[in-house]
Amino acid sequence: MTHSAENPLHHPEVHQASLSGYVANFLITVLVMTAALWLARDNSLPAGSLVGWTSLLALVAVLVQAYLLLHMNWSKAQIWHTVAMILFVPLFVVMIGLTMWMFHGLYQRTAIAMPHQTMAAPMHPAPAASAAAHTVKAA
Amino acid sequence: MSASTNTRMQPGSTVLWEKGDAAGHDALGTRTFGFWLYMLTDAMVYAALFAAFGVLAHNAGLTSKSMLASVFDAQAAYRDTIVLFASVLAYGYAMVALKKGSRTGVAIGIIVATILGVIFLNMVTGDLEHLFSQGVVPQLNGFLSIVFTLVIYHALHIVVGVLWMLVMLMQMGRDGFTSNVVYRLINLRIFWHFQAVIWVFLFVFVYLQGKVI
Repeated sequence: MTHSAENPLHHPEVHQASLSGYVANFLITVLVMTAALWLARDNSLPAGSLVGWTSLLALVAVLVQAYLLLHMNWSKAQIWHTVAMILFVPLFVVMIGLTMWMFHGLYQRTAIAMPHQTMAAPMHPAPAASAAAHTVKAA
Repeated sequence: MSASTNTRMQPGSTVLWEKGDAAGHDALGTRTFGFWLYMLTDAMVYAALFAAFGVLAHNAGLTSKSMLASVFDAQAAYRDTIVLFASVLAYGYAMVALKKGSRTGVAIGIIVATILGVIFLNMVTGDLEHLFSQGVVPQLNGFLSIVFTLVIYHALHIVVGVLWMLVMLMQMGRDGFTSNVVYRLINLRIFWHFQAVIWVFLFVFVYLQGKVI
């Protein structure tokens, strides 16, 4: 490609801008985020399905943005941008997924009970405490 | 010694990479690709922060329910979302004007995008000040630390974007659409539009899901 010696305004990366694409992106992402807000409006959904459905909506919004805003496509001007993005996705998954998985295992094995969990399962520290109290009495 | 008599390269005089407007060298494409890799690296920093958020959510129970409700104000975050997306749309309009070579159009688009960016910052800092004045501060516990770090890290990107837009307005007025100005405008588009992508994750995973995880 020999665009640099010419008028920079003729470069394909200038010409990929599209008003209809940007307006469509705005309308779709606002709609999707409104739907996500509506799902979370009064905590009526169970936590699991709220997380699932809003995550799905986030995925939809990000895919629309990747295509319409970031111009991730297979055109000659953009193919390496798209490939770099796709190669980064497993890195994000490894970074976030492995970290959370590792700490989840750690929390289970070390049983650090947090306040909201002790409410759900209050018996964890109690037997030890009462046993300690008995020991003190016995002594 | 000419190259025909001695084929060894002369380190002092050999040109390995033609700089500037050499034929066949797509300087603009090279620069936007380099900047795109930088943005993806920045996204790795966000990934590390989101990983920390996922891990420290285990400690969310240390924060009282009413405090969590005031931190994760979904209505306020939705308002921020609309303003940021509108700013991104305005910058998109500037890019369409650039395609047509209209300086006025680019300037209008960037000025509107800047104003909306400042409004976004104003709303976010207002919310942060309100929370801090209520005693909801990052140092209370690890979960609040990472929540505030994520929100402030994103806000700092918006600050950089707003400053960059002001610089581009000046450079465009001074130089017109030279190749340097054009590739910087495209890099700024990549930067600015990427902030909207990151915000989707912040809005959904932090503001909407933060209360229930």
